[in-house]
Amino acid sequence: MMILLAILLAADRPVIDLSGGRIQAYPLALARPLGAQETAAVQSVLQADFDRSGIFKLLDPASFLAPASEGLTQIDYSKWMAIGAQGLVKMSCEAAAEVKCDLRLYDVPRAQELLHGSYSAPRAGVRQIAHRFGDDVVKFFTQEPGVFQTRMAYVRESESGKQIVVADSDGFGPQALTGASINLLPSWAPDGKTIAFTSFRDGAGAHLYTVDVTSKQVRPLVTTGDFATGASYAPDGLRFLFSSSLEDNTDVYLSQNDGSGRRRLTDSRGIDISGAWSPDAKRIAFISDRAGTPQIYTMAADGSDVRRLTFQGNYNQEPTWSPKGDLIAFSGRDEHRIFDLYTVNVESGKVTRLTQNQGTNEKPSWSPNGRYVVFSSTRGGKRQLWMTAFDGSNQRQITSEHVGASDPAWGPLPAK
Amino acid sequence: MSEAAPKSVLALRERTPLPPALVLAIFFHLVIFAAAFYLPRLLDRPPPMRKPIIAKLVALGKPRDKSLLPRKESPPPAAAAAPVAAPGGKAAPSTAHVPTRRELMERALAHAAGRAASEEKPDEERAGQKTGSPQGTAESSEAGDVYFTAVHDAILENYVVPSVISERERLYLSATVLAYIGGDGRILRHDLQKKSGNPFFDQALETAIRRAKLPPPPPELARSLRDNGVVLNFKP
Repeated sequence: MMILLAILLAADRPVIDLSGGRIQAYPLALARPLGAQETAAVQSVLQADFDRSGIFKLLDPASFLAPASEGLTQIDYSKWMAIGAQGLVKMSCEAAAEVKCDLRLYDVPRAQELLHGSYSAPRAGVRQIAHRFGDDVVKFFTQEPGVFQTRMAYVRESESGKQIVVADSDGFGPQALTGASINLLPSWAPDGKTIAFTSFRDGAGAHLYTVDVTSKQVRPLVTTGDFATGASYAPDGLRFLFSSSLEDNTDVYLSQNDGSGRRRLTDSRGIDISGAWSPDAKRIAFISDRAGTPQIYTMAADGSDVRRLTFQGNYNQEPTWSPKGDLIAFSGRDEHRIFDLYTVNVESGKVTRLTQNQGTNEKPSWSPNGRYVVFSSTRGGKRQLWMTAFDGSNQRQITSEHVGASDPAWGPLPAK
Repeated sequence: MSEAAPKSVLALRERTPLPPALVLAIFFHLVIFAAAFYLPRLLDRPPPMRKPIIAKLVALGKPRDKSLLPRKESPPPAAAAAPVAAPGGKAAPSTAHVPTRRELMERALAHAAGRAASEEKPDEERAGQKTGSPQGTAESSEAGDVYFTAVHDAILENYVVPSVISERERLYLSATVLAYIGGDGRILRHDLQKKSGNPFFDQALETAIRRAKLPPPPPELARSLRDNGVVLNFKP
């Protein structure tokens, strides 16, 4: 009887469904640095990381009500609540032979510590302390890895040629890996130790080489045929795709990671290029003009089951598969004959535009967590690297190369 | 030998234990009484909430060729204000009021209403409300519909999902809150009946409930909302 009554009472309650809340960046305060002067350097890098992430809304230090002397742990939460902070980061560093930092993240409304880490690095590596803590914070909130510690490879354009360069994901500390012949299209091996690239260095056309990121030693990978270009490693790192005219037509080929065991995957009459793996390595996206204009197609990893994915636009190129597997980013030319960035949903085929009316935007490359895309853009005059969130929001400049930067390739997550 | 007086049937019944059939009969009577009391309330309860329909005004322009790559959605261009003759025959100053999107929508509705009026003679006998719409068809609105829509809107206005919750997690997060509303519209108390599992999401919806300014419920709903509450199902 009581159960019946309870059911009747419950059934009598009106129900309101609420969805579509506004997505808003998390208001975060970076408290004034404490301790050695290196703390300010750590905070500066951390601030830039958080700002670039688009996840956090950094509060203006001018609005802070808490005294600058407020300690690491004795916190007057009401003063941080009053300025709208949801999260609070406190840090203090000591500098000796190396820099040791204590970084803490607090939940202001709940007045509790969320994260606490001690980090150390040589004096020259204080930036890494900020990147490591930043990644820990992102991981804590989103359950996805942060990408502040990752690196990017790209092509530095100079008067004397084009060289492969590696820099931090914020563009800091670029290091040239090759000389200044014509070197293009870098592609990271999944272990982050080597980069494959296309080069005209042998004077016999475009061929594939690898360079060791640490020793900078260059080795030939595919040097036969008229040309071999656009290497793309499988997620397991044991195989790679490339485009070549080894036979009478330009097609997508599969090879072992030492360059042996090459096998042609496409065999249409048209040109098939720019192979890119899906994250589960079961399918491959590529560009083909078999239907008249360059469009994105996908095929099974053995070359079977070819499906056309894009039907809009008359020149789509440079597909790159999101690590999450749901989207493929590409550059496409619109009716104004300017290349811009787009994504296409692999399931629905829905195309979404990421850039518009801001110069030429090309060569997308996904961050390893699938949240961002780095690309080259001429919006500021010289071609430089920019990054955007996957939906086209929060676009930020990454490099400031003297002559220009292009062909970015976002590196893998650092080994644990 | 005197014959024992015959026992009455009633006396016999007094000494007989209650048969199972009688217990069953009592139980069914109780069920019938309960049903008679609660079923009308059950049947008379307001219809399930309908999700609000979000309509987008389609921008004025040429249809885009389907074979072209899409454009980004752009904000509507500033509407060209009709030149208003200022006193003295001078043109209106450049600070003329630029109508908002809402005003444009209202103008369009008013225009449509005017056209409908010119095309069709209104039914003078038609019943309605003073605050009704020319396009309306119902005689009156359901108080529950109006009130629950107001509750929905008031909470949604303060419903902010922090971006630290990943897109993937947003796909499956959900939480249920039972809220009790007082006669003056204040939320008397709320219970988080089903947590989402993400403390930032739970915190966001509790903030939305705390900040929401609800109108007082109509008299016919006041008691139910105070005693039984309303179930709020949240999704990002």
